[in-house]
Amino acid sequence: MSEVRLQIKNLCKSFGITRAVQDVSFDIMKGEVHALIGENGSGKSTLTNCLTGIYSKDSGQFILDGKEINPRNQVEANDEGVSIIVQELGTLDSLTVAENIFLGHENKFVKFGIKNTAAMNSQANDLLKQYGFDRIKASEMVDSYNFEDRKLVEIVKATYFNPKIVVVDETTTALSQEGREELYKHINRIREEGNTVIFISHDLQEVLRMSDSITVLRDGVYIDTVKSADVNEDDLKKLMVGREVSGSYYRADYGEAVSDEVVLTAKGVTVPGLIQDISFELHKGEILGFGGLSESGMHEVGKAVFGASFDREGSVTLSDGTGIKDIPTAIAHSMAYTSKDRDNESVVMNQGIGDNICLPSLDSISNKAGILMSKKMKEFAGKHAATMSVKMVNTDQFVSDLSGGNKQKVVLARWIGKDSDILVLDSPTRGIDIKVKQDIYQLMDRMRKEGKSIIMISEEMAELIGMCDRILIMKDGRINAELMRDPNMDENKLIEQMV
Amino acid sequence: MGIETTAPKSTMISGKVKGYIILIALVVVSWAVFKVITPNNFGSPENMLSYLQASLIAATGAIGFYFVMVMGMFDFSIGANIMLSAIVGCVLATKLNLGYFGLVAGCIITGALVGLVNGSFYVKLRIPSMIVTTGLALIYESIANYIAGGVVQTLPADLRAFGQMPGDIILAVVAFVVAYLILNYTKIGTYTYAIGSNEFVTKNMGINVNKYKVLAFIISGAFLGTMAILTISYGSSMVAVTGMASMSRNFVPTMGCFFGLAFRKYGIPFPAIIIGEFVINIIFFGFIALGAPTAIQDVITGLALLIIITLTTRVNKGEIVK
Repeated sequence: MSEVRLQIKNLCKSFGITRAVQDVSFDIMKGEVHALIGENGSGKSTLTNCLTGIYSKDSGQFILDGKEINPRNQVEANDEGVSIIVQELGTLDSLTVAENIFLGHENKFVKFGIKNTAAMNSQANDLLKQYGFDRIKASEMVDSYNFEDRKLVEIVKATYFNPKIVVVDETTTALSQEGREELYKHINRIREEGNTVIFISHDLQEVLRMSDSITVLRDGVYIDTVKSADVNEDDLKKLMVGREVSGSYYRADYGEAVSDEVVLTAKGVTVPGLIQDISFELHKGEILGFGGLSESGMHEVGKAVFGASFDREGSVTLSDGTGIKDIPTAIAHSMAYTSKDRDNESVVMNQGIGDNICLPSLDSISNKAGILMSKKMKEFAGKHAATMSVKMVNTDQFVSDLSGGNKQKVVLARWIGKDSDILVLDSPTRGIDIKVKQDIYQLMDRMRKEGKSIIMISEEMAELIGMCDRILIMKDGRINAELMRDPNMDENKLIEQMV
Repeated sequence: MGIETTAPKSTMISGKVKGYIILIALVVVSWAVFKVITPNNFGSPENMLSYLQASLIAATGAIGFYFVMVMGMFDFSIGANIMLSAIVGCVLATKLNLGYFGLVAGCIITGALVGLVNGSFYVKLRIPSMIVTTGLALIYESIANYIAGGVVQTLPADLRAFGQMPGDIILAVVAFVVAYLILNYTKIGTYTYAIGSNEFVTKNMGINVNKYKVLAFIISGAFLGTMAILTISYGSSMVAVTGMASMSRNFVPTMGCFFGLAFRKYGIPFPAIIIGEFVINIIFFGFIALGAPTAIQDVITGLALLIIITLTTRVNKGEIVK
């Protein structure tokens, strides 16, 4: 445990005028799980992206087992013994599972220019079997597997060659509990084999449970490295934010009566193959939670309520009798929706922060002649970006330049700007740091008090328990249980109904 | 024990079989429609063999073009490439007396060089491939016109073995086998799909994306050069047109390529290109048998193609189509 595996010396990386990593230096040991934590935009992913060749560093050194490394891409990083499992999807459509696993390393299967597909498939199948993923077939197109399975393929791809360092970059936020346990198993295996894991996560409980040491970054600057055994969650929060995270984290109230006024009624909502016969009422000022395993159908409920599902049956009706069958009707009647799949379904990546925030509010921003004034758009976007503390150069900055958490802030700023009365928030705090999480919880609480109604879909049981007036637990596409807000409720009660 | 995994929605074998059934149904339906309308001068076994031979010409170019299209690029200089390659091949074969060697090498090397220029300009200038290839098409037309000296280039009868059975079939089959090997048994094929899927991730895997893009244009060009051999051998001559008139030659290989893209999800892009070109030719020769005016032929061929691609391309609900 005492031998240094990786020395990071005076690392700097900037994007334009944004200094993402500033003169960062610290050591990572052999045979440890070393967590990297910090708020969104603190430089965690930038640092590891430099280490794995995704970005090129501006200055500084990575010294691996005494030798300086300067990988220019992931394959060179792999050759040096460094690999990464990324936050979002890291496999490529139109390629088979085997082709994805060995992408960039095909040469060992190529003789006289001809690729031995059978040998590649055979070796990939052997690896999948070794990892216990033998239901995934090497010769199948990776497109035919779901998100979780594709993450499992990534685990194989990143670790099969026994790398010295594996970076796990906020991967767990995209996984269900089962997927997380699978990943934890492999993290422990890597540590037991004497190799190192750099573990990035916003879930501090998970960080404390999984890691041996923790390095904290703030605004691209190194703050401290601590032993996991010597700290608790509050210590980490303080290090991350730079001050005590005061006040209540979740809602503090219990026993408050929810209004009898029903703002939305779902009756017999069915999406073939995904959800079946979902009926519920949403009350004014209520936070209604949906929980369950990742594939339980809860994420589809959000889409179905918002009119975004295909082939939806049943009805979703507002208090004034308006039926919600499509997205334009939902938005026109003051509904908002944030998707779990942030990059593909929520933000327009290659447009500015301002455009993203203003998108659903253009009618109200434009003047009577329908003309949009850029000054007014900037003011609108700036105001709501500031409410959400988006870390940015200005509102013209492209969303693609932002960290995962900051993208989520942009999505929320958009709907705050729209001042919607019914919000459907699917995984609203996914990939978001502790400080902004608290801000979002407080924002939800404020909205609730203002009479806005929220449907909160989440795989994080703690936030469902902490924030919701009522929780509907989904199982196999149906509502399996209804749990009321209760100070004595714990995660076990939810789990019992989920599995 | 691993966690539960979802099995793929369908196996590749059943997907392939389904794809072939659709393609064969298209052949049968298009044949049957014209056979009913004009039973005497359309669709005999001899006729069908000649339609197949004609379709192999365009299919040879289309399988090369497929590499470019899968990567998300386009080429508007297909017709100019075919024209220039055919003229160079013909000049080498006849005026320099290099015979078949001059014809084959001249066409394929010229096609590949055109591909190299297309690809190089595209990656160096960093402007859309459509614009680059449109501009270059004008230049290729002018070069072809200069080489031909404004005169029709005719291939003598003793050099037209690739314009008839079995020469044309042998050359086309060799081309299909080579393309199949490249796509399925080389790194180029893997990288073609990887770049088409996500160029950024592919680049991060250490793959020289620009190199493989240029390579795709070269492969496409070489196969279009092969198509030029078949074209001039079948038609016996080539006129060097200018003013973008060569673009009329783009249509048929491009349409075949669309069939390949549409049937990629069934795992049979190349068979789809070959059978797709056959369907196009059945429709084309069907109209000729009917004696329909050219304008009507074009309108109905265009519509038929849109209908076929729409019916055969089952886009998943919610999938973005661009």
